[in-house]
Amino acid sequence: MATAGEDSPIGFGVERVRDVAGRVIDSPVPWLLPTLAVLALFQLYPLVEAVQLSLTNEVLTTADTEFVGLQNYTDLFTSIGFRQMVVVTTVFAVSSIVLHTVAGLILALAIDYGVRRGLRAHLTTRVSVLLAWIVPGIIIGLIWKVMLIESQLGAVNYLLGTVGIGPVPFRSDPTLALVSTIVAGTWRGTAFAMIMIYGGLQRIPQRLYEAARVDGAGRWARFRHVTIPQLKPVLFVTLVLVSIYALNTFDLIFALTDGGPGQATEVFALFMYRKAFTDYALGEAAAVAVVLLGVNLLLTGIYLHVFDIGDQL
Amino acid sequence: MTTDREHDTGSSSGGSPGGSGTRRRRGGGGRTEAVAGSTSRTDGGSADVSGSAAEGSTDTRLGRVGGALADTGVRPLDVVTYGLYGIAMLFFAFPVLWIVSASVRPEGALLSFPFRLLPRAVSVTAYQRVFREGMVTWLFNSTLITVVGVGSIIAVSVPAAYAFSRFRFRGRRQLLGAVLLFQMISSIVIIVPLYSVMTSLGLVDTRAGLVLLYVGIQTPFSIWLLKGYFDTVPEELDYAARIDGCNRLQTLRHVLLRPVLPGIAVVAIFNTVFLWSEFVIAYTVIGSERSLYTISIGIYEFQSQFGNDWRAIAAASVVGMLPLVVVFISLQRYFVKGLIKGSLKGQ
Repeated sequence: MATAGEDSPIGFGVERVRDVAGRVIDSPVPWLLPTLAVLALFQLYPLVEAVQLSLTNEVLTTADTEFVGLQNYTDLFTSIGFRQMVVVTTVFAVSSIVLHTVAGLILALAIDYGVRRGLRAHLTTRVSVLLAWIVPGIIIGLIWKVMLIESQLGAVNYLLGTVGIGPVPFRSDPTLALVSTIVAGTWRGTAFAMIMIYGGLQRIPQRLYEAARVDGAGRWARFRHVTIPQLKPVLFVTLVLVSIYALNTFDLIFALTDGGPGQATEVFALFMYRKAFTDYALGEAAAVAVVLLGVNLLLTGIYLHVFDIGDQL
Repeated sequence: MTTDREHDTGSSSGGSPGGSGTRRRRGGGGRTEAVAGSTSRTDGGSADVSGSAAEGSTDTRLGRVGGALADTGVRPLDVVTYGLYGIAMLFFAFPVLWIVSASVRPEGALLSFPFRLLPRAVSVTAYQRVFREGMVTWLFNSTLITVVGVGSIIAVSVPAAYAFSRFRFRGRRQLLGAVLLFQMISSIVIIVPLYSVMTSLGLVDTRAGLVLLYVGIQTPFSIWLLKGYFDTVPEELDYAARIDGCNRLQTLRHVLLRPVLPGIAVVAIFNTVFLWSEFVIAYTVIGSERSLYTISIGIYEFQSQFGNDWRAIAAASVVGMLPLVVVFISLQRYFVKGLIKGSLKGQ
């Protein structure tokens, strides 16, 4: 029946060609060839190029490039700018991880509860949260820029103004600028954690709750002794994925503060970008990229270990 | 439980190939209706309690359990939950509403007192300005790149996912591991050498180059997600088709495509969001050519040039996110499903 569409009269030659073609596609090679080609050209080649570049002193504006070994790395690790960036990235990443996961957990629980109780508005809530997540990163940066403008044009300062506060310099004060990027990041990223955790909640067998109820466990006890232990793997995977995500954040901060004021919101990716396209120090920038790659690989290793993906391969 | 359900769908739509036509049509039609229905349900709000199609069964079951046990009165926890909903909606929806509101305010009315979200008068001058500054070009480029890119990603990743699911060959595990690794590594890592790489490939400042780059970046995630869908279709179906004289391509087309279609939809939606929104790679590859600007680049450049025209920036943002919002609202359930199944890196 599956060949029903192929019933048209077929010439002998066509059949021969089809026969040969049929045998060729019995090998996995033609199926994988396009993938292998694009991966080699657009993932592997740039990565190898980045590693090579990181061992040279290439500067975009000068022609003479030499091999300098690990010079870029030693320079990097001893530079004040790099340390400052690591501090900023750590603050940004840790706060993002905590806020995304906690907000995501609370919202997932609230929506799950609402679904069970048949409360209204849980769908609207979920759509609002998810909507923030699909807005393009550059536009998120601009939305929050407009929200936080340091005059009464910005909604936040306007509202604060009505109760006699401000105007608050959200983007020009170093600490507040970092807080602003974290808030904007949380605005976008909570949806991801929420959906991951919500999915995890759906996978908890209902009989565990019933058993706990029979044993006389109250709501809190059921949450503490059923939900949390059952949710642990999902929570951990979420934590790792959110970490990878937070550590590679670029577009949102690029549009919101561009790393400023000074270096106050300059996270890993922005630091690398500035080295490459503001200072034109491609060699040094590549070294930063390789360090970021290392961080990514480390987190991926943890993810694979926890997810136990081995049996899916 | 997601897996089980898809397993069922797979075997019912493919497993009775010679069986009654009505049954098969109902199976396929149900899926389309679910997609079409989600629009109105999202807007309507209250009726639908299920998240994604796959979650549906659990939700209804839980709903019934909850309904049987629950008392009808309002519990304190309900009030807390409603409070949380209110805070969440305010925090997540307000910025978008504010941007929309700011974009249609007449000049100077941003300062209006007292505070109002709905402006008293509406002006479209901000939109006119954005369209004068090249919005049509940006929309055209983004649409072209997104459509061609998503098509190419699917064309490359479906055969690969099939191969990983159906062939047993040496190095399969390692290759699949490499694919997963590429999925997890953020593409931001490659932007430093990207310009010289694209130059040496002769692809700098071309839309084709950007599309190929996107295929390279997004294929791993797509393969990984699609392989999961292929794995839920029993191989006995393949064997049956092969005995009927199908080669592998025909088997894929006539037997496997239908049960895998929801997976392809998820992949298409996610890649649409990614390609439409992507900024830093596009900026690096085609950022020096004005006529190739995508929506993200266009809006970014617009705001660096006219940084104090906040109404126009708001208008540009509204236009830039509108297509995605429409796609999202109409296909919301696939998003949720894809997020849960794909466990993607979060881009």
